[in-house]
Amino acid sequence: MLTAVNGALAPPAKARVAGPPTMSADAPLPHPDLVAAIPRLRRYARVLTGDSARADDLVQETLARGWEKRRLWAAGTDLRAWLFTIMHNVFVNQRALAARDAQNVSLDGDGEAGAAWQVPVRAPQQAHVELQEVLRELSRLPAEQREVLVLAAVEEMRYEEIAEILSIPVGTVMSRLSRARAKLRRTMASESDPVTPLKIVR
Amino acid sequence: MMSPISDDDIQAFADRQLPADRRAAVEQALAADPALAARVRDIERQNAWLRDGLDALLTEPPPQRLVDAARMPRGPRRAWQWLAASSVAALATLVLGFGGGWYWRDAQLEIAGMPTTFARQAAFTHALYASDVNRPVEMWAPEEKRLVTWLSKRLDYPLHAPDLNSMGYSLVGGRLVAGNERPTALFMYENAAKQRLTLQARKQPPGTEETAFRYAVEDGIGVYYWIDDRCAYALSGQLDKAQLLAIGRLVYAQLNTPEPPK
Repeated sequence: MLTAVNGALAPPAKARVAGPPTMSADAPLPHPDLVAAIPRLRRYARVLTGDSARADDLVQETLARGWEKRRLWAAGTDLRAWLFTIMHNVFVNQRALAARDAQNVSLDGDGEAGAAWQVPVRAPQQAHVELQEVLRELSRLPAEQREVLVLAAVEEMRYEEIAEILSIPVGTVMSRLSRARAKLRRTMASESDPVTPLKIVR
Repeated sequence: MMSPISDDDIQAFADRQLPADRRAAVEQALAADPALAARVRDIERQNAWLRDGLDALLTEPPPQRLVDAARMPRGPRRAWQWLAASSVAALATLVLGFGGGWYWRDAQLEIAGMPTTFARQAAFTHALYASDVNRPVEMWAPEEKRLVTWLSKRLDYPLHAPDLNSMGYSLVGGRLVAGNERPTALFMYENAAKQRLTLQARKQPPGTEETAFRYAVEDGIGVYYWIDDRCAYALSGQLDKAQLLAIGRLVYAQLNTPEPPK
């Protein structure tokens, strides 16, 4: 039954919100570029939140903030880096609020690893096996380390750019990156699970 | 005496971010110290593993609510704006499914079966081959001359691979891909950060009009495309529009200057 599926998956009120894509006269943000940035924003949000629904909420909030702050974007500069900066700030604020709300939350970065993280169960397609492994390993890192690692290794951003996005010195980027890599190496090595075939690229 | 190799150097080397003036020193140290070399390999392997895994997320089509959030500032809107915007947008989304300032013109061209299909196909082809770490091309850059001869023959059009080194991109190689009805030549380029660009070229039937630069975004891949002389070109990459345009201009300029004698 269609109605049942609809009711279960999407609140009907939300389904109607699909608005018209358009550009208001005063908007200097380039739409196609913003739309084009969505896949990468979603991926980064997924790594930050560990959950695809929360990740999409984070992306939506980021895009909304982007529009609010559109006057602050200097045309011609890297839109993606700017959006990542916004996303980082939104994420940090959300975490701070969540930490304040929860009484006994450890503020130690390593403490939160895993707790809020849920790696969703999906059909075991080949492509997703690898993805789930990566997400699981990343979930063991504190968010601060996860961020620099993904920005450097996956987004292939320059260290200076990462420092700017996260508002930290380049030296901190390097030390977090180093710690993230060491930790990931340890967990990967300690995994006796033989079902973790690393693609070794020669 | 050069400064000792630090952990930062090792990471920067593995991430391909080490300044050129430092590279020789690190390479020397790597050759002398197998433990250091192993560390670099470790990082590179970890990077590749992360990328391979997480790249799967890029292929997920974004939910409509995010596409809307990207396109529309929040806040109250006047009724006529909604009305005008929604009819145009609905039409454009229907025909094309991507954002851009060329909705209307592209929509018409799409009906005529012309370049928009080409741009879309170019983006798909780019996504397919640029993500291939080991075998992105059929023939590699060292064989550039043979590659160009082969592709020119298959397209029945004299091609050459533009030199994008001034933009930081060097030729990786090329391949022949199946186009819509016609064979398409693909040249792939890569920069130091391993970002890849593809330039695809397809011969057009006689009587095709030349066009200006057009920009489209397909699945997160930017495409500049144009028809010049009797060939259609598409330059694709996951780059800023401005960066892509700058490279597109360079390509265009080079294609329109006779090749300098070697």
